[in-house]
Amino acid sequence: MSATLTKPVRTAVTDTAVTTTTATGPADSRSAVGCAPAGLSAAASRAGSWLWKATGVLAFLALWELGPLYLAAPSTRVFLPPLHEVLLAWGRLFESGSIQGHLAASLGRSVAGFGIALVAGVSLGLLIAWYGRLNSVLNPLLELFRNTAALALLPVFTLLLGIGEESKVTIVAYAAFFPVLLNTIAGVKTVDPLLIRAAKSLGLNSFRLFQKVILPSAVPTIFTGIRMAGTASILVLIAAEMVGAKAGLGYLIVNAQSSFLIPDMYAGILTVSLLGLAVNFLLVALERHFSRWRTAVGA
Amino acid sequence: MTAKISLRNVSKQFTVRPAGSAGTTTLTAIDSLSLDVRDGEFLTLVGPSGSGKTTLLDLLAGLSTPTSGEVLVDGRPVTGPGKDRAVVFQQYALFPWRTASANVSIGLEGKGPDGRKLSRRERAAKASEYLKLVGLAGFEDRFPHELSGGMKQRVAIARSLAYEPDVLLMDEPFAALDAQTREQLQEELLRIWRTTGKTIVFITHGIDEAVYLGQRVAVLSARPGRLKAIVDVDIPDRDGGEDIRSTPAFVEQRHKVWTLLHDEVRLAQDAGHRKILPDGTAPDEPVLGEPAATTRERSAA
Repeated sequence: MSATLTKPVRTAVTDTAVTTTTATGPADSRSAVGCAPAGLSAAASRAGSWLWKATGVLAFLALWELGPLYLAAPSTRVFLPPLHEVLLAWGRLFESGSIQGHLAASLGRSVAGFGIALVAGVSLGLLIAWYGRLNSVLNPLLELFRNTAALALLPVFTLLLGIGEESKVTIVAYAAFFPVLLNTIAGVKTVDPLLIRAAKSLGLNSFRLFQKVILPSAVPTIFTGIRMAGTASILVLIAAEMVGAKAGLGYLIVNAQSSFLIPDMYAGILTVSLLGLAVNFLLVALERHFSRWRTAVGA
Repeated sequence: MTAKISLRNVSKQFTVRPAGSAGTTTLTAIDSLSLDVRDGEFLTLVGPSGSGKTTLLDLLAGLSTPTSGEVLVDGRPVTGPGKDRAVVFQQYALFPWRTASANVSIGLEGKGPDGRKLSRRERAAKASEYLKLVGLAGFEDRFPHELSGGMKQRVAIARSLAYEPDVLLMDEPFAALDAQTREQLQEELLRIWRTTGKTIVFITHGIDEAVYLGQRVAVLSARPGRLKAIVDVDIPDRDGGEDIRSTPAFVEQRHKVWTLLHDEVRLAQDAGHRKILPDGTAPDEPVLGEPAATTRERSAA
């Protein structure tokens, strides 16, 4: 139930973030600066389009508020409280500081795991892509690991590393590692051979070639992997916290459910989706910053 | 007369996989070719497809090594790419994540010939200077995707001039441009050549372009590439403002090159020669048939 409730909101807003990326390209902002009245009307139309895009979310929130009050049977309302009750519960949790505590616990784990995955995935990916023979040895093994769902390994990590922080950080790192690794390999392998020829003819040695041509050209592809890893790390972390933890958003949700604090449970779910949104927004912004030169590749 | 570049009996062979076959055959792209390029000369090189023009340029650039023979620049054998030579490619090969200015200055980022590293500001100043030389002053901060084809090629030319090589190697640099832009860039290239005094080896498949730009036109034979002839282009009044393409001298030289090239183009067409692909496949090589060399020798006999 909780999954079906949070999912539509998240995907809808992710789409919004992606479409605005294309809408506010450099060309747009330049034309807006060029002429003031045009800039004003552009701002107005942008506000209008934002409102239009928010319609779906607003309608969903309205349904959440009004549905349980007027449509659902009283017994259902206990399990699906209207939005204002959830927000009140969120406020209480915020005042007592417990939601911050859980959020901090979750963030700490995902940042640690994500960081490990990032460093390991990018550096190993660069190595593998650079040394072709390493690739042919490791590729089948990597395929095997990649296609083993991270959560299926959760019991293994728990048995080996206990129910403490290590197992959770490890599983987040595991889940985030593969998107980063595979996209790094793909990014390096798809560098335009003409650019490598050009760089060689400019007298760049292997190290400089790597630093000045291969890496920058692979950055956008690597960032796609990083963004996928961000989503994966939060997903896996919440699941891991639901299975065995003493703090964290996943723990908050499961604990609230078993203590029959249903509004608290929804408050936890809401926090998870907001966290996911924030992470995605941040990574999209970073990706855009590092791939500015690709904005008009199709043009 | 000093030879800036000397090719001595240069041959280059490739091991290729004919399309649709598992085995490999040896393909001779260039066959014992000897050629001298004078210091400060503008030499154009024409030949039918598959005559090894790009292979020859790669050898000069040091991007590949000859199977036999010697490639000398300033009397020293070429062992690899060097700062004394620069290449301009047909497809511009600009780094899309760098602005025009940063593209031009990439060759300046290492240590210079005097062992000194230029500061960021010095590099930018130099980039501006060369962008101005190619007529792109004010476009320093544009990314390649914001520039037209002609402008991109100007940036590429500025990039190869910026680290002050003696030799400019150009591989059909204007082939992807529209006729008007091409003509404009041809004039500018001549102007740049006159002001900088570089030695230029310019590959083209356009006879007009070859005769218009070159002091000498080297005509290559169909595969395997050999030097068929060198035509001295002698057009009086070259610097005059008039349309030299319609002068009798130009027409005459053009016809000379055309005649030389004509048979070779037909030969190459009959053999169906195309480029050898980078992955080592040669789509035009017969699976079990005779190598291209035999075809050519028979018809020449």
